[in-house]
This record gives sequence, C-alpha cells and structure tokens, in this order.
Amino acid sequence: MSTVFKAQKSRKDKADGVVEKSTEDKSVFRNKQRVLLLSSRGITFRHRHLLTDLGDLLPHTKKDAKLDSKSKLHIINELAELNNCNNCIFFEVRKRQDLYMWLSKTPNGPSVKFHIQNIHTMEELKMTGNCLKGSRHILSFDKNFESTPHWMLMKELFTQVFGIPKTARRIKPFVDHVISFSIVDNRVWFRNYQITEKPLEHRSATDTTDLTLVEIGPRFVMNPIRVFDGSFGGQTAFENPEFVSPNVARSNIKNAKAGRYKSRMDAIAKKDEKLKGAEMPEDPLSENNVFA
Amino acid sequence: SITSSKAVVVADPDDDLTREVAFYDQALEAAVLGRERIKKEGGVFQRPDDYFAEMIKTDDHMAKIRQRLLDENASIQASERAKAQRDLKKFGKKVQTEKRLEREKAKADALDKIQALKKKRQGNDNTTKADDDFDVALASDDDEMKAYKTAGKGGVNQNNKRSAPSSAESRGKRVKKDQKFGFGGKKRHGKSNTADSSADVSGFSVKRNKSTSFKSGHKAAKGGAKGAKGGAKQRPGKSRRQSGPSRH
Repeated sequence: MSTVFKAQKSRKDKADGVVEKSTEDKSVFRNKQRVLLLSSRGITFRHRHLLTDLGDLLPHTKKDAKLDSKSKLHIINELAELNNCNNCIFFEVRKRQDLYMWLSKTPNGPSVKFHIQNIHTMEELKMTGNCLKGSRHILSFDKNFESTPHWMLMKELFTQVFGIPKTARRIKPFVDHVISFSIVDNRVWFRNYQITEKPLEHRSATDTTDLTLVEIGPRFVMNPIRVFDGSFGGQTAFENPEFVSPNVARSNIKNAKAGRYKSRMDAIAKKDEKLKGAEMPEDPLSENNVFA
Repeated sequence: SITSSKAVVVADPDDDLTREVAFYDQALEAAVLGRERIKKEGGVFQRPDDYFAEMIKTDDHMAKIRQRLLDENASIQASERAKAQRDLKKFGKKVQTEKRLEREKAKADALDKIQALKKKRQGNDNTTKADDDFDVALASDDDEMKAYKTAGKGGVNQNNKRSAPSSAESRGKRVKKDQKFGFGGKKRHGKSNTADSSADVSGFSVKRNKSTSFKSGHKAAKGGAKGAKGGAKQRPGKSRRQSGPSRH
C-alpha cells in the first residue's frame, strides 16, 4: 500500500510533463529499479572515486558498507533484499590493483562480471562538462549490441541498471546528459557527455544540429568475463574466450623478461659446447712443438 | 530512459582520436533522437539558464578546470611570442651581416681602385700628391666610392644609427661627439694653441681680474660653495660644456 501511495505522491511532485493518471488501469508499467552500490575491502582511491561518481550519476542508487568476504558473494542478495533494491553494482578489488565489476539483478536474475580498465574519474581536469546532480540521462547503445545474444543481454542489463526510472526520488526534471556504451575490440566503452545547445552565432558550417557534447564524467572500459545464470553465481551462460586475466598478463610479461636472460644463458652454453667439440689434436708441425 | 542504437562503431585498434570521434558521433545522434522523443512525449529537455541546483561537479572544481584552460592558453601564446621574437632576431642578424659584408667588399674595391690610380700617377707625374687628385680622377658617384666614403670602421656607417627620437640635447651631444671622435679630419691637436688662439684675448676681462672679492687668501664663508662667488659668471659643469651649445 505504501508503495502505491508513494508512487502517487511522486507523480504529483514531478515536474515532468508526462502525467500518468492514477485512475488508469494497473497495466501501466511502473519502472521501479533500485540499485545497490557496494564494494569489497581493499579498494583504492581511484576505484572509490569511480564508485562515488556512479552514485552521483545514478540517483536511484543506494550506497552500502564494504563487504568483507570475496568468496561468499551470495550474501549480497540478502543485502539487496534488505535495502529494497532489485539491482546491484558490486566492485570487487583484487590485490589492490584489479577492479572487477559485477552487475546483477539481485533476486535470481542474471549477473555479469566485468574487468574494468582505463579508469578516468570525474575529478580529472580535462573533462570540462557538468550536469545537474540527479538529472535523467539518455542512454546510447552501439548497434553492435544487437549482434549476438550475450551482447543483447548485457544491453538489457545496462538499460535496467543505468536507466533512471521516472519515479526515482532524487531526480531533477531536465535531461542534461547522455551516457554512451560502445563496443570496440570486444570491450564495452563507457562515456558520459553533457548536452549543450549551441546558439546560432557559434555554429559552424559543418554542424548538422545545434547540439554539442562536452565530456563530463567518468570513463572506463569494461571487459566482460562471464555471464552467470543466477545472481552472483549459478551456471555460466556465456564465457568470453578472449579474456586474459590480469594475473596471467602480468606473469606473461615477467616470463618474457626472464626468457631473455634464459635464452642468453642457453646460447652461451651452446657456444661452449660447440667450441669444445671443435678442438683438434695438436699438430706436430705447430710452433710449440717445433720450437719447444 | 530512452535508448537509441542507430550507429555502428568503426572497428579501431588503439587509435584514440578516431575512436573518441566515433563515440562522440554515436552519442550525438542519440541525443538528437532522444530530444525528439522527449519533446513528443511532452517532457522538458534543456534546463533554463536561471535554474540553479546542485551540480555533479562543484563550483570550485569547475573553477579549477577553467583556470587550467586559461593557463594552457597563456602558455601557448607566450611560447608563440618567444618563437616569433627568435625568428625576427635571426632574420635581422642575417640582414645585418649581409649589409656589412657588402660594404666591406665595396670598400676593398674602392681601395684597389685608388691603389691602381696611385700607381698610374706615380708612373706619370711625381710632383702632384695623390690626395689632391683624388676627387678629380675617381668618379665620386661610383657605387664603390660612395660606399668607401660612407663606410667607417668595420664597414659600418657611423652616422647611420638606428636611434630613439632625437631631442635637442641628444642631437647637440651627438654632433659634438662626432666632431671630437667621429671620422673625417684631424682632431689630434684640438687643445693645442694655434696662432689665432694665442692671439685671442676675448677670455680676458680687466674688470674681472681687478675685482678682489673671493680671491685666494680671503677666507670662504661656511658652506660657501661654488655658487657663492657672486658677480662672476657661473661656469657650467663639464658635461654641460661638452654637450654643446644647443642645450638650453
């Protein structure tokens, strides 16, 4: 009952032009998504800033305390239940270096684990845009998301997690910015731009519209690892064959370095052997033998 | 929120610029489409200029960004100015050396001509001096002779100076200095007496010599400096005397 009341009240308070009459039938889909933002222990400053940036961008989120365990992730489902959330973004930090992001629909929906790279937070001075805190955004997806089922699943997940419902509490009425997801090199690139309307006098000949975009917000690259059937566990629905775990990547680099030394030592040993094999018996006519 | 998935991303490897441009284009297209859809559904798109609310980045942060952009611009302009100065200097130096070499060459040629003429003259006539026939024999509107005449030490015409706007004081001073140190004519015996200068008695005045006040032996009053001589014409200081009669 309380949710119905809240829904009615929020509809009245909204500055949106769209008004859903409460007398209409209940088949109107009410998008109620709430996202739980979590991280594990051992998080570094950059990852923490990224988490807070996401929290600022998405007003339908709720931040929670750090999770102690890295193995028993199923307790996140219960935490989400407690907080009335049906989505979750979980930052898992390993070795204080590698950031893994879990996106899941908490009760029993699918979940995806990504490896996050190339993090630039909103603090960076080269990103000059700004937007209202809590304004809703336009989500922009690349056409490549329609190509294979696992991308389609991820697109749906992004829509539900990153899409702000109209009935969220802390939203502002205007649409300020656009968030774009693109697929390049089998990874998902996240960008956040502010939309500005250019006045007539600043437009150049090559502009097609009067809108310009200025980059605001965090930018990162998501490398999908696995898609699970259940939330934080369950059967693997999709596994990315091209994924190289960061540990493996680091060890490859170290082995390559070690390999150089090893190959040099081998070459020296071979040379010694070759020289030994090339020794001939002493010639009776050599200088040593003739001139004693 | 509204999603739009029109654009196809170009397959790039690591080329930052094209990649970002592709993302930008995709997002722009989505923004345009999104705006249409929102307007159709009656939502509000752009926030009005007088709507002040909490922004994602604080005002301090935006000020830092702005400052950084300004600093970048300033440094670019400063470096461009310095570059322009350096180029100008190089160009000026080049022109200067060219001119100098030209003049020296002309001077050397003129001297050769003089030598040749001297030899010719010596062959013919031993009584006349080369100096007297100088102007007659050699055409003085010849290029080399002109250069020789105007060239001073090192091939630089000493009267040809880039100078600040000249005041009466500097003009007179310059003229005096040229007369004393410049070129052309004997200056060596300027302070020696000639017949005229020894016979010149205009500096002697009987009245002055006869006046006894403040002669040697009379105790000078306290603080009686040069200005206390009274009656005698005050002689200007050395620098004023040297800068010539044009000073007021």
